[in-house]
Amino acid sequence: MPTEVFNPNPVVFSPAKTLGRKSELLAHSLWIDEPTSSDDETDNVELIDQDEVFDLIRSIYDPEHPNSLEELRVVSAPQVSIDQNRITVEFTPTVPHCGMSTLIGLCIRVRLLRSLPNRFKVDLFVKPGSHQSEHAVNKQLNDKERVAAALENPVLLDTVEQCLRDAGRRGQPVEA
Amino acid sequence: MYQVTAVAELPGHDDRAWAAAWNPSRPILSSCSADKSVRLYSYSSTSDGTLKFNHVSTIPTGHTKTVRSIAWSPSGKTLATGSFDSNIGIWEQEDIGEDELGAGEWECMTILEGHETECKSVAYSSTGTLLASCSRDKTVWVWEVHPDADFECLGVLMEHTQDVKCVAWHPSEEILASGSYDDTIKLYVDDPTEDWYCFATLTGHASTVWSLAWSPKGSYLASASDDKKVRIWKRADNYRWESVLAISAHDRTIYSVSWSVGRPKSGDGSLGWLATAGGDGSVKVWELTEPAEVEGISKNAPPEHRLIATLPSAHGVHDVNTVSWCPRGGMEDVLATTGDDGVTRIWKIVPE
Repeated sequence: MPTEVFNPNPVVFSPAKTLGRKSELLAHSLWIDEPTSSDDETDNVELIDQDEVFDLIRSIYDPEHPNSLEELRVVSAPQVSIDQNRITVEFTPTVPHCGMSTLIGLCIRVRLLRSLPNRFKVDLFVKPGSHQSEHAVNKQLNDKERVAAALENPVLLDTVEQCLRDAGRRGQPVEA
Repeated sequence: MYQVTAVAELPGHDDRAWAAAWNPSRPILSSCSADKSVRLYSYSSTSDGTLKFNHVSTIPTGHTKTVRSIAWSPSGKTLATGSFDSNIGIWEQEDIGEDELGAGEWECMTILEGHETECKSVAYSSTGTLLASCSRDKTVWVWEVHPDADFECLGVLMEHTQDVKCVAWHPSEEILASGSYDDTIKLYVDDPTEDWYCFATLTGHASTVWSLAWSPKGSYLASASDDKKVRIWKRADNYRWESVLAISAHDRTIYSVSWSVGRPKSGDGSLGWLATAGGDGSVKVWELTEPAEVEGISKNAPPEHRLIATLPSAHGVHDVNTVSWCPRGGMEDVLATTGDDGVTRIWKIVPE
C-alpha cells in the first residue's frame, strides 16, 4: 500500500443539505442489487437523475482522509450528466498530482456498478485540467478489462470496500 | 440486405462471458467467463436444417481468476485458456470417442507460467506448432508446441509500452499481430538466424486496440478499437502494411472483430464478411470487396465496404465482448457472441 500522502491537508467543505425529495422511494429500488425478476427492466424504467447519481457517490470516503468525496468536493451533482442510458460522471482530484485518483475513480465506478440498473453505461472522467495524468487516469477508469482485473485483486478490492463502507448513507450523517 | 436471426441462447455462466471459440474440426463451441469456468457445447443440424446446441461439459479450470480468452489448436484436440491469474492452461480430452463431442473429462495437460500479470489473449498459429500469448505486463510470448504438451518459449517480445490486449496469427504464414492499450498494432516474424522480432508498427487508432482479425486469405488485417473505429490494413509489400480504411462502426468501444469468407452473393473479388461488436450492444456485419482495378488508381485503394446487417441489443442492455464466425464448412453464415450477461448466443445471417 502506498505510504505517501498526496494531499496531507485537504480543504473540507460541509455537505450540502440532503435533498428530502423522492429519495426514500428511490432508495428502495436502488439499494437492493438488481431486482431478481428484472427481465423486462426496460418496460419498468426508474427515473434516475443527476441528484440520484450524486446521492449514490457523495458518501464514498476518500482513500487517504476520513472525509467523504462530497466534503472534499471531489464529486458534485452538477458534475453528473445523464443522456438516456449513458451517465457521465466527472470528478475533481484534490491536487493535480493526486496518486489516489484512479482509486477514487475505481470506487465511484464500483459504487455505480453495484447500485444502478445495468442498462446504464457509465463514463468516468477527471475534471479537465485537474490532473497532470488526466488522459492516463481517464483511460484506465474506462477500460472495463482493467477495472475487472483490479477488482480481482484482493488488496485493492479491500481498499475499495473500505472507501464504500458508508456510501449507503447518501449524505446523511453516520448513525451513532 | 441480410437479417441477423437468433439460432440459440446458451446461458450458464455465473458472470460476464468474455469469449467464445469454435472448434475448427469438430462441432463443438466453447466459452469462457469471469466465473473461471469454460463451457463446452456440441451442435448438430436437425432434419429441418436448424442448428441445435447441447451443453456437454463444464471445465472448472482451476484458474484462480477470470478466464479471459480461449483458443483451439487447429487440430481441434487442444484448448488453451488465458487467465487474469497470469497463467495459460492447456486442456485435452482423454480418449476422444467419435460420438462424445466434448463430453467427458477435460484434463489439464500443463500450465504455462511466465506472464507477470493478467494474460489477456492466447492464439494458435495456423499449423498449430506455435502458441502466442499476451498480458498486461506489456509482453507477447511465442511458444513452440512440442509433443506431450511440452511448450518451449521461443521469445518474449517487449515492444509495446502498455498492456497487450490481443494476439492473432496470420491464416497461413507465421506472422503474428498484437494490439495494445498503447493504441498500436505490432507485427512480428521469426528471423531464422535471430529471434522473433517486430517488423512493423501500425499506428492510426486513437485509443486501445481491443481485437484483431486477419482476412481469410491474409492480405488484410482488421483492428477494432476503443476509438469506435474499425481499421483495415493492407499488405502493400511483404513486410509493409498500410492503413487503407477506417470505418466509424459503433457508438461505444468495439471489443471484437471477426472475419470470415461469409456467403456473399457474388464471389467476384469478395474479401468476405467482417463482424464487429462492442459496448453499444450491437453486432454489425460488413461485406468487403477488393477495390476495382482502375487505371491510375493507386494499388492501395481501400476495399469497398458495405454494412449488410445490424443487430441492435444482441445481449439486451449488455456489452457484447466477443463476436466469432464459425470456421467450419457450410456454416460460414453462423456467428457466436458473448456478453456481460454471461450468455453465449448463436446467430445466422440470412438474406432478407
